[in-house]
Amino acid sequence: MPTVPTLARSYEALRPRVLDRLLELRGTLDPSLGRLDDATARAQIGAVLDHLGNFIATGDLGMHRAFLHTFLAMRAAEAQSPASVLAMLVAIGDTAAQVAQETGGEPDGRDGRDVRDGRDGRDGRELALLLTRVTASTARVVNDLIAEELARRGAQREELARRAREGAR
Amino acid sequence: MTDGERSRADAMRGGSPRAHPRAVSEPGVGMRIAGDSHIGKVRTTNEDALIVEPRLGLFAVLDGMGGANAGDVASQLARDTIRDFVLHRRVTLAPRELIETAIAAGSAAVHGEAQRHRDHHGMGTTVVACLVIDPQRVVIAHVGDSRAYLLRDGRLQVLTRDHTIVSELVDRGLLTAEEGERHPYKNVLSRNLGAKPETRVDCLEVALRPGDRLLLCSDGLYGYASGEAIQYLLGSGDAPEHVARDLIDLALRGGGGDNVTALVIEAPPASPSSTQVVRTTGAMAWWQKRQRFLQVAADRGLTRNPIVRGLPPSEALDVVALSLCQAIYHDLEKSTGVNVWTFAQNLAAGWFERGGEWAAVRGIVDILCTSARVVVDDIRGVDARLGFLLDVAVSRALIVAELALGGLLAERLRQVDAEVVELHNATHDTIEQTTDEPIEAPEPAGERFADRETLQFLRPERSPPRLGESPDVAAAIDKVFTLTRARVSPRARLLGEVLIALENAVADRAGNFATAVLSARELYGARTVDNAGVMPVFDALDQARILVASSVQQLRAPAAVRVQALRALSTAHQRLVGATTGLVLEAVHPFTERLREVQVVTGELRDAVAKAERRRADLEHKFATIVDENLPWGARGTTEW
Repeated sequence: MPTVPTLARSYEALRPRVLDRLLELRGTLDPSLGRLDDATARAQIGAVLDHLGNFIATGDLGMHRAFLHTFLAMRAAEAQSPASVLAMLVAIGDTAAQVAQETGGEPDGRDGRDVRDGRDGRDGRELALLLTRVTASTARVVNDLIAEELARRGAQREELARRAREGAR
Repeated sequence: MTDGERSRADAMRGGSPRAHPRAVSEPGVGMRIAGDSHIGKVRTTNEDALIVEPRLGLFAVLDGMGGANAGDVASQLARDTIRDFVLHRRVTLAPRELIETAIAAGSAAVHGEAQRHRDHHGMGTTVVACLVIDPQRVVIAHVGDSRAYLLRDGRLQVLTRDHTIVSELVDRGLLTAEEGERHPYKNVLSRNLGAKPETRVDCLEVALRPGDRLLLCSDGLYGYASGEAIQYLLGSGDAPEHVARDLIDLALRGGGGDNVTALVIEAPPASPSSTQVVRTTGAMAWWQKRQRFLQVAADRGLTRNPIVRGLPPSEALDVVALSLCQAIYHDLEKSTGVNVWTFAQNLAAGWFERGGEWAAVRGIVDILCTSARVVVDDIRGVDARLGFLLDVAVSRALIVAELALGGLLAERLRQVDAEVVELHNATHDTIEQTTDEPIEAPEPAGERFADRETLQFLRPERSPPRLGESPDVAAAIDKVFTLTRARVSPRARLLGEVLIALENAVADRAGNFATAVLSARELYGARTVDNAGVMPVFDALDQARILVASSVQQLRAPAAVRVQALRALSTAHQRLVGATTGLVLEAVHPFTERLREVQVVTGELRDAVAKAERRRADLEHKFATIVDENLPWGARGTTEW
C-alpha cells in the first residue's frame, strides 16, 4: 500500500490537472466562482488545493480546522452561506478524487491498461480514496465550525432577550 | 468435425429443415457467434452455405445459384476454398488482402469446376465474409447480393451494396430506388463467384464498439423480412443463437420463398464499470453485512446516545442504524445520495426541533461511520477490488449525510442570526425610549468648551487641608482666594474650577506633584482634547494666576507674609500647569506617536523624491540635447529619449 508521502507526491503531481478541471467546472461549483475571471478563480481554488496538499502531507487536523475557519469567514464576508461553502469544498474534494481515480484507471482495466499490478494505477486509486476521506473530514470540520458559531449566536440571542426583558420592566 | 464441416454437412443435407443453431464462444476474442440456415418453404435444396471458424476469425454466408444442384456445389466449393486459403495463408497476408485473395481463389475454383463439368456450367455463388482482426476490428468482404448489417446503439445499417444490375443502374441514376424495387431483373447479379475466373471484391474495415452486432445473411432473409423487423430482433438483447433462429423464423413467416441463412456476430460487451459493480455486487455485499453493521453500532454505544434515549436498544438500532444501512444500500444501488440525505435530515431535524445539541448528532454519526468502516474493511479483506470501490462509494454516501447536516445547521444559524438582529434592534429602541438624557449629549453648536458642564470629582465646598504653613500665610492664602472668587463671575465656571484646583495644590506644602496631578485631573475632568481643544483650560489657568497675584497685592498683610503667600501660590500654580500639560501630552500621545511615524515616512518620501529628482536631473543631463545657443529659446533643441 502506498505511504502518505508517496500519495502526497502523487497529489502534487496531479494538482495542475485538478485545478484545470475545477476551473472548467467552477461555474457549477459556485456561482460566485463562476463570475470571477480566470486568474482570480485560479488563485482562490489554488489556495484550497494547496491546503489540501499540506493536509495530506501532514495530517494536521488543527491546521486543517484553522484554514477552514478562515475560509468560512472569508466567504461569509462575501455573503456566502455556510451551506454553499460546504457544498463547494465537497465539490472540490470530489473532483480531485475523480481526477485521481481517472489517472489510476478503472480497477478492472477498462481503459485498456492492466492497472491491477501497476504502481501508478494503485497510487491513483489509493489517492482517490484518501481524497474522499479528506473531503469527509473537511465536511465534518465545517459542520463543527457552523455548530460552534450557532452555539455562540444562540448565547448572544439569550443575552439580548434577557436585556430586552429587563428593559421592558 | 469442425463447425465449418458441420455447417457444410448441414447445408449439404438440405433435407434437414432446420440446422441447429451453433453458438460458438471464442475465449480469445470474446465474441459470441451463432449461425443458422433453412431450406425455406419453396426450394427443394439448400444452396446456402456458412463458414463459422472462430479459431481463424472467419465467418461467411454464401448463396449458391445455378440449376440441377449446381448452386449448392458452387457455394460449398467456394466455402471450402475460402476457408482453406485463410487457414494456410493467414500468417503471410494482411487481413484485408487475405480475405480478398481468398474470395478470388474461391471464384477461380468455382469457375474452374464449372468449366470442367458441363452440368455445372453457369453455376456461381455470392459471398459475404467477415474476417476478425481483433475484437475491435473486422474486415467485411462481399460479392453479390448477400448482405452484412451492423446494429449499433439500436440502429441497423447496411454495410454492403448489392452487386446487381438494377442496383448499379440505381447508383448511376438511371433508375430510381422505387423503380429498382419493382424491376423484373432486380435479382440479376452483376458480380458473383464463378461467372469469371477473377472477380472484384468489395472490402470494408469496420471498427467495432462493445456490444455491436453484425449480421451476415443471404437474400432469403432480407427479401422476406422488413428492415425494421430485423432491427428489432437483432437489438432484442437475446443471445445470438436465439436471434439467428428468430430471424430465420421471421423470413419463413414472410413466405420463405428462398433458402434463408443468418449469421450473428456480437462484439465483446463492455466490462462493467465501477458504477455498475457498485450498483450490483457492491450493494448486495453491503446489505449482506447489515447484521455486522448493527453489531458494531451497538458495541460502540449507539443505543446510549441522547437522540435515542427512551427507546429500547433493539428499536434504537432499527430506527437509526438499520435505517442508515438501508439508505446506503439503496444509494449504492442507484449511485445517488438521496436516501442518505433524507435519513440524515430526518435524524437531525427532529433533534434540533427539540432543542438538541450538535454534539449528540455528531456522536451518532461518528458511530455509524465507524460501523460502515468496519463493514467495508471486512469486504475489502475478502475482495480487495470490490472493497476499494465500496470504500469510496460508502465514504461518498456519508459525505452526503454531512452535507445534509450542514444544510440544517446553516439554516438554523440563519434563523438565529435573524432573531439576534431583531432582538438587538428592539433592545436599542427600548433604551432610547427609557433614557431621559443620553450618556453623551451632543455638544450644542457654538458653545464654548469653558462653558460646558464637567463631571465634578471634587465638591467645590470641600475645604482642603493645609499642612506645614504658618497660620499667617495660610490665612493670607485663604484671603487671596476669597478676594479672587469675589472678582470672578459665577458664570465663569471653568475659572472657578481652576481656583479650586489651585487651592488644592497650594494646600500640599510638601510639594507632592501627585497632588497637583490629582487636582489637574479633577480640573481636566471628562473633557477630551478632541472636542473643543485644551486652550480654554490653559487660558483659565493664566487668568487665575493673574487674579491670584493681583489679590495678593491687595492683601493687607506684612510684605513677608504676602511674599510667602505669593511664592506658595506661584509654586502651586506651576505644578498645576505642569500636571495639566502632562495630562494633555498623555492624551495626545497616540497622536504624537502616529505623527512621529508620519514624520519618518514623510522624511523617507522626501528623500525618495529628492533621489528621484536627482536621477531625473541626471537623465535629463545625459539625454538632453546639445543646446544651440544661436537658436531662439523655444527652438534650441529636442530631447530624444
